[in-house]
Amino acid sequence: MNEEELLQRAVEEREKLFKRYEQGRDGGAEIDPWEDPGFEVYHTTDRYGFIHDQRLPTKIDIHEAKKLQIEVERQKKWIKMLKNWGSPGVSPEKLHSRVYKGIPDSLRSIVWCKLLNVEESKNSNAGIYTNMYQLARQYSTDARQIDSDVNRQFREHLHYRERYSIKQQQLFNVLTSYAMYNSEVGYCQGMSGLAGVLLMYMNEEDAFWALHILLTDPKYAMHGYYKEGFPKLTRFLAHHDKILTKFLPKLKKHFDKNGLDAMLYSLKWFFICFVERVPFNLCLRVWDIYLLDGERIITAMAYTILKLHKRNLLRLNDMDAIVNFIQVKLHKDFLIEDDIVIQNLEKSIEELKRAKLYTPSPPQKDEIPSRPFGVFKKPTLDKIVGIRTDKFSEKERQTNQLVVLTSDIARDNAEKDETYECQTNDSVGHTGSKFSFEQSNDDTSSLLDCEHLGSRRSLADTSVTSTADLSVFSTITRSQAHENSLDTHSNLSDNSVGGASSIGSGICTTSSHRVFSAHTTPRASSYKQSPDVLRIYVPYSPLDTPVASPHNGDLQQSIPCLFNDNKVRIKIDNDELPTPLIEHGQIKSFNVDTELDLK
Amino acid sequence: MEHTEPHSTEPEMANRQGAAQRPNGAQGKICQFKLVLLGESAVGKSSLVLRFVKGQFHEYQESTIGAAFLTQTVCLDDTTVKFEIWDTAGQERYHSLAPMYYRGAQAAIVVYDITNQDTFGRAKTWVKELQRQASPTIVIALAGNKQDLANKRMVEYEEAQTYAEENGLLFMETSAKTALNVNDIFLAIAKKLPKYDQNQGQSGQGQGRRLAEGDQGAKTPGNCCK
Ligand SMILES: Nc1nc2c(ncn2[C@@H]2O[C@H](COP(=O)(O)OP(=O)(O)OP(=O)(O)O)[C@@H](O)[C@H]2O)c(=O)[nH]1
Ligand SMILES: [Mg+2]
Repeated sequence: MNEEELLQRAVEEREKLFKRYEQGRDGGAEIDPWEDPGFEVYHTTDRYGFIHDQRLPTKIDIHEAKKLQIEVERQKKWIKMLKNWGSPGVSPEKLHSRVYKGIPDSLRSIVWCKLLNVEESKNSNAGIYTNMYQLARQYSTDARQIDSDVNRQFREHLHYRERYSIKQQQLFNVLTSYAMYNSEVGYCQGMSGLAGVLLMYMNEEDAFWALHILLTDPKYAMHGYYKEGFPKLTRFLAHHDKILTKFLPKLKKHFDKNGLDAMLYSLKWFFICFVERVPFNLCLRVWDIYLLDGERIITAMAYTILKLHKRNLLRLNDMDAIVNFIQVKLHKDFLIEDDIVIQNLEKSIEELKRAKLYTPSPPQKDEIPSRPFGVFKKPTLDKIVGIRTDKFSEKERQTNQLVVLTSDIARDNAEKDETYECQTNDSVGHTGSKFSFEQSNDDTSSLLDCEHLGSRRSLADTSVTSTADLSVFSTITRSQAHENSLDTHSNLSDNSVGGASSIGSGICTTSSHRVFSAHTTPRASSYKQSPDVLRIYVPYSPLDTPVASPHNGDLQQSIPCLFNDNKVRIKIDNDELPTPLIEHGQIKSFNVDTELDLK
Repeated sequence: MEHTEPHSTEPEMANRQGAAQRPNGAQGKICQFKLVLLGESAVGKSSLVLRFVKGQFHEYQESTIGAAFLTQTVCLDDTTVKFEIWDTAGQERYHSLAPMYYRGAQAAIVVYDITNQDTFGRAKTWVKELQRQASPTIVIALAGNKQDLANKRMVEYEEAQTYAEENGLLFMETSAKTALNVNDIFLAIAKKLPKYDQNQGQSGQGQGRRLAEGDQGAKTPGNCCK
């Protein structure tokens, strides 16, 4: 095709897409039969509008009923508070405590708009939304991508279910218009999730401004996530790593050992604030708090999730199972009651504040919007016809390099641990999961200066200067080596019955030589293990990490009876039996088979 | 909205629910491979993986952000092959993150949509990038997906096949929707990959190295069929 034909094709495609959304279902938009669902609606729709495969329970259990009742009570208080919004009568403390308890769902639309100050943006920019839509209609270069994402966003939700339904129309309009308004970001996959949630609680124009505020208000600053090269993502991942290194060193090591970089499991946490990663009801609670307190909540929540599920995660011994647990299992069932999760989130925030880790390092210049909003620049021909330049921008090149280095490090970490397994070639193997004296957040590194931890930080820094020369490598090697030597400490004091503390300095030297060498040794063969492993769990101190407890709020009460002191639990775990080959994230429950009372 | 395909080819797939089907008691070989899917957004990468791993098709497969990770195990003669699959996001914006997923991969499936010529062009640039940046011995397969929409075809079978031959790629037209060639393409890859038994300990430098490279899950004992 020549240039003209390509242009013509692009124009026709855009025209066709916009027309379909304009017409909507009833206006006669052409709908392929497969695009439309045909499922039973009524008894499978939950209170938020999501449709489930199974019938929901016909009767609400007592616990649910009680919660709904409390929500009705809260509603009254909220209505009063909303009347006095902005007056001294509504103290920040009161607002804080109420938001953390959860905004009543019926008032979410109003409260979210207030928290985001949508009204003000909208009023001071009257007419802009319509303008942007008109521009998009004529010039949008993102319509194809947005269309294909609208077609896949929240299709199990009542309002997004039908092709070209009103919500789908709105989602398409908001996203195409916003891509014109904030041309630096345009449209990035992920934004359909954000806008999709906003539209469940707002009308079209409000959602547009809410989206803009989420991207550009420094409190949320999501612009930096979606911009090419994802500058904010690298900064926040570095911060996340720092938090893990300090508060969950054992888990961090476990992840490293399994070659699991945070980038591999946490993108939806950061990009869409936990949408599709935790159940929707919990997600809304986190959004309430996020809208109130801003971006720091994301890293605090990320930490909270890992802390709460640390025991489960330590028991999973490959990347497959870990990623599946974090991404799939926890979305289906978080295992812990929402209120308890939020209480723990608050606790995490306190911990992080004390350790001066609540606030990440300030944003780099490239994260902040640099182009004025709503100023139209005609797209280049390549963009219009959808030809890829296939070249990275400077920022993307840096990100790309960073990613390559990070994946090398992850691999090296994995192999380093391999070496360790060879050395301690006996049944102790995975210290973390076998003989473990669990402490709540295995915090043994509080003596350490966390500024020096976290290899990614140094990577991020180097990527900014974009010098991938040898001096960069040596910095990384150094920081790695440093980390390793610190790990030795944590191992000594951490847990480790029998032999595990022999890792450490020896490996740290090998690894630092190997970090960037092109050759790594063949993976050592995994040792064979006798299938019948006897594991002894000796509870060490009362947990303050809640264990998965079926939906009741009585965690505090349930723990003591589960973990009575002076009892030795003998658990015969068949994880290591030569089965199951395929586990779709089905982790086995913690079952205590025998109990010996030593009293 | 899920179809479990009646005529899925279903070759010697390992049992989905539980224990692997292994030749009775025989100590077969076990191999683990890292495989990455690349290609333009909405060509059906996630759908192919879902079909292969769970035997399902969702019309409204959610769009991928970053990447998703899944595994599936197949049995090939006396060898059990476990695929660790990275399904990546197709939007160009995410391109800079791709090496995170394809580095150390032993196999890649580059997917395009047969009803869209642009996606074929994009597939070619992915192949080039892999040939330049990925492991030199990576096995690359090209999948022309959405074969069920052949009446809207924009990319001719012969064109793609010629391209694949010239570049030493495996090639099949697939449909995640009808399950056509989905298992087959994975199996063809499995057959082409050098098998090295993880039960037997160290191997020679050449192939063993490659296994060691991307083999992220096997380092923990007891997670695979032993
Ligand atoms: N007819 C038909 N549709 C398909 C087939 N495979 C996928 N689709 C549809 O194409 C759309 C996109 O599929 P995905 O699997 O989400 O595409 P993807 O390549 O993973 O896209 P990204 O995650 O955005 O990179 C979905 O609506 C699927 O239902 C196929 O073989 N035939
Ligand atoms: Mg996908």
